[in-house]
Amino acid sequence: MMPSLFDVMVAVPLVLGTFLTLVTAVGLLRFPDVYCRMHAAGKAGTLGVSLIIFAAVIFFAPTGASVPIRGLLAIAFQFLTTPAATHLLARAAYVAEYPCTERTALDELAPYLGGYVRERYGKE
Amino acid sequence: MSPFLQAVCELCLAALLISVALTILRLIAGPRAADRAIALDTITMEFVGIICILCMVWGSDLYFDTVWILTLVGFLGSAAIARYLERGRLFR
Repeated sequence: MMPSLFDVMVAVPLVLGTFLTLVTAVGLLRFPDVYCRMHAAGKAGTLGVSLIIFAAVIFFAPTGASVPIRGLLAIAFQFLTTPAATHLLARAAYVAEYPCTERTALDELAPYLGGYVRERYGKE
Repeated sequence: MSPFLQAVCELCLAALLISVALTILRLIAGPRAADRAIALDTITMEFVGIICILCMVWGSDLYFDTVWILTLVGFLGSAAIARYLERGRLFR
């Protein structure tokens, strides 16, 4: 069976996106602390899901404009919301004093957010 | 849908199911709440991908609305969990 050009145009983003999503899951399982896991989930996951949605957009493009509009809207929402949610969670985890891994060389956030935590919540 | 594309879609569905299983392992094992929140966010993203591929396999755009709705709802859930972790309560 010889794939046509349309098949290749759908299959390449599909396989790339699935690979990135699998990499996200493996990174989520293997990384040592919560900030590293957020790094994996926030970047590779966003791009992987966007590529899969883009494959569906190309697949349904000959049938009309309904699915492409919704798909591009979904990609825009994905790029707007997932990094924001990951940033919110990372800030909350730092304020709640989640520990870094022992291999952390430098905590550049400590002069800023560490003081914020102590002054606002009275923690030591 | 051609046989080539059918085979690629089924392979990708299998890989996405494997990644959902790996993420559920982190959801069970995660030491504290933020790890579990991240795992839930990732599971939402993987289900969005699975719904896209199932739409292509079935040749129907009936369920395509769930894709962008699930994205927004996942963001609301993560924002609520982050607010709870940072302040210790949801509302004043």
